[in-house]
Amino acid sequence: MTNLLMHLTTDEIELWAQGLLPAARAMHLADCSLCRVEADRERKIILALVQLPRFAPAAGFANRVMAHVKIPTPSGDWTA
Amino acid sequence: MRRYERPLFSLLYRMVRDRALAEDLAQETFIKVLNGIRSYRPEFKFSSWIFKIANNAAIDHLRRRSLDTLSLDGAPSAVSPEEMRATSLQLGDRAESPLDEVQSRELGTAIERAIARLRPEYRSCILLRHVEGFSYEEIAATLELPLGTVKTYIHRARNELRGYLEDRRE
Repeated sequence: MTNLLMHLTTDEIELWAQGLLPAARAMHLADCSLCRVEADRERKIILALVQLPRFAPAAGFANRVMAHVKIPTPSGDWTA
Repeated sequence: MRRYERPLFSLLYRMVRDRALAEDLAQETFIKVLNGIRSYRPEFKFSSWIFKIANNAAIDHLRRRSLDTLSLDGAPSAVSPEEMRATSLQLGDRAESPLDEVQSRELGTAIERAIARLRPEYRSCILLRHVEGFSYEEIAATLELPLGTVKTYIHRARNELRGYLEDRRE
């Protein structure tokens, strides 16, 4: 059985930030201001990272790629 | 290809901080993947394979050009304001209140700047973990690093990001 007084590890803090830490360990945060501060700071960073936007390449990207891809012909040859 | 186009391009863009170069590297990656599909070993996840090729392309480039700490204001080769604008990292729009949007944009810009200051190895790990949602094990397989090293890099990267963001607030 895990000691309720044991500070959270960095892995556990990451789990907590993702809402995945088992309740038994998460209860430690209610009593430990040290872990709570650390967990809050960690959660802010993780949330900021998770919310980063995805970028798209310029239009026609797929066509430019496919122009260089060799496609096998029925005879077994490869053609670009 | 559509499935990986944005994730792969985003990773490369954040690694090299130059849109045109990221597009070249993404194109190189997809061509390698599609022309070398017969060498794909199904015991590995396809996403690990394709991200490994992309990451290697970015790291090789960074090593050649020493572009590991770059500005958000554009590619290092950009000289004129137009070039800087054209090559700068463009943050996406989201439907938020004006205040949320300003705060979110500020944090988004700050975190992009902070990511740019990380070592390339840390940057790959943190982007794969928190932007692409890879598990530690998947990152280890993708980057061919021991699991413990991946964990260490991610924890250090988050600590450094926190440090950069806290410096900015002071």
